[in-house]
Amino acid sequence: MNRGNRVFLSCVYWSFVLYVFVPLFLMILMGFKDSKFIGFPIRSWTLDWYTGVFADAEVLSTLGYSITIAVLSTLISILVGTWIAVLLEGRRFLGRAAMFGLTILPALVPGIISAIAFRIYARLLGIEPGMGAIIWAHAVHNVPFVGLVVMARLSTLPKSQIEAARDLGADPIVAFVRITLPYLIPAILGASIFCLLLSFDDFVRSFFLGGYDPTLPVLIFAKLRSGMSPEINAIATVALVLTAAIGIWAERFTRRMNKDVNS
Amino acid sequence: MSLKAGAANSPGTHEASRRTFWGRLINWTPYRLLMGIVTASPRRQFLILAAFPVLWLLTQHLGPMLQMLRVSLTDAYPVAPGVEQHFTFDNYARFFGDRIFWQPFFRTLIFASVLTFCTLILTYPVAYFLACHVSRKNQMLMLLLLLIPFWVGEIVRTYAIMILLGNTGAVNLVLKWFGLIDRPIPFMYTSFSMGIGIVYLTALYMLLPLYSALEKLPKSYNEAAADLGAGAWTRFRRVTMPLTLEGVSSGCILVFLISTGFYATPVLLGGPSTTVFAETIAGFFHVAGDEWPTGAAFATIMFVTAMLLTGIFQRLMYAMRKGDTK
Repeated sequence: MNRGNRVFLSCVYWSFVLYVFVPLFLMILMGFKDSKFIGFPIRSWTLDWYTGVFADAEVLSTLGYSITIAVLSTLISILVGTWIAVLLEGRRFLGRAAMFGLTILPALVPGIISAIAFRIYARLLGIEPGMGAIIWAHAVHNVPFVGLVVMARLSTLPKSQIEAARDLGADPIVAFVRITLPYLIPAILGASIFCLLLSFDDFVRSFFLGGYDPTLPVLIFAKLRSGMSPEINAIATVALVLTAAIGIWAERFTRRMNKDVNS
Repeated sequence: MSLKAGAANSPGTHEASRRTFWGRLINWTPYRLLMGIVTASPRRQFLILAAFPVLWLLTQHLGPMLQMLRVSLTDAYPVAPGVEQHFTFDNYARFFGDRIFWQPFFRTLIFASVLTFCTLILTYPVAYFLACHVSRKNQMLMLLLLLIPFWVGEIVRTYAIMILLGNTGAVNLVLKWFGLIDRPIPFMYTSFSMGIGIVYLTALYMLLPLYSALEKLPKSYNEAAADLGAGAWTRFRRVTMPLTLEGVSSGCILVFLISTGFYATPVLLGGPSTTVFAETIAGFFHVAGDEWPTGAAFATIMFVTAMLLTGIFQRLMYAMRKGDTK
């Protein structure tokens, strides 16, 4: 590989890094601007917008609402996704390919279509728009991701370990709980973090299935429609810090778990 | 690890296994009776394992799509009491009847295709650099660096683009600073701002498949080609590109499907001249319930078209791969 090429490509990489970071960085900066008017240059700075956010009961309750939805929908997705993965990675059976296709279907449907399909189906199931509907929609939408991650991990589990456990007298359930499940823990944790973030960040499903209480992205959207203000920057920054921190922590955590289990 | 070691060390005798929780559970009579029923035959065991997933997939994954299709073929939904529901194709006919319906549809398809191509051009060099020019240890770090912004939600990132491109935004400020412009360029509420926003949201979905395809490519192939006298461009065109087509294809399909489904980003970054089909569909769900069947029909049209297009695209890419290896 020649040197010029390499320098050019490294410039491309670093400009890409700038492209993905600069907008977020500017957005965070704007939250410290001491004026109601969004725009550059920033002449004086303040922390008022942030203290305002933490004193605002509406924002805080929305944050709690979003987190509750994320946690509950993740629990459902993990349970169902793992179950489906165990079935699909087990012995071959008729219709397995079709089942795999169905499993990943919710991940392939474009956002708006999935949102309105859920909206229509919620009506059929008798789920009123609101927290229950959002949890349900997020759970269904996230199952494919859990399924794929757990299947990938399951395919590397040595069959001999299960066989050994069965020979030593464990029935299928005990063998699953004591051999398969501990082996799957890193995948399950990784998938849960991914689901938590997907649910917490989701806008379109929360928007179409929500009742009167907004989730955090829906709240930001509603405030944006009535005009930009540094208050929104502060709220968005809180959301950003929360998601990025969870993401980074999860990345390190799952990597360490993977090392521990593999060694 | 300790769990497994424990299981391996303890002998399978009754006496020893009685001491642990699991040993006691296995020997507990109600549990044994239950397990006797569950594991009576491999067939029954399989049916018990499969029942819930099959039920879930049919009712939760397939159900919403089928119900959407069914509603799109009716004249009223939700049905008011005392009114009879009729089967009709009118909702589909409405789509072709009015320009304000099919124009956003084709606009969405064109936008999504163009943006997918732009994302590919933008991220291929980045993925190539990461996979082929960076040491293993730094690869993960540099990839992780790119992942951080993508954990941040759609709305927050859209807002960040609004601040970047606004009339008093950073780009206009910098351009003014250098004396390139006197008055701000109105970037916002155009297809340009929408494009920047959507590429910003989807770039990762292209980058990851490309990266994993490039990373699997053995270095020796390119070295062999170089030894045989191929220049950098020929090597890329004849070796790297054909062997990473699978990554290109899955990245493009992902980004295309995701871009057609955006709703909030076009609303916030686009203007009246850039209405996408997602906004058209959503419009039917904001008003009274009797418009739902039309919305469902339009969503079905969008879904079927997107699936057909990606299917054809996948076939084409597959044919290209086969053709190249011959």
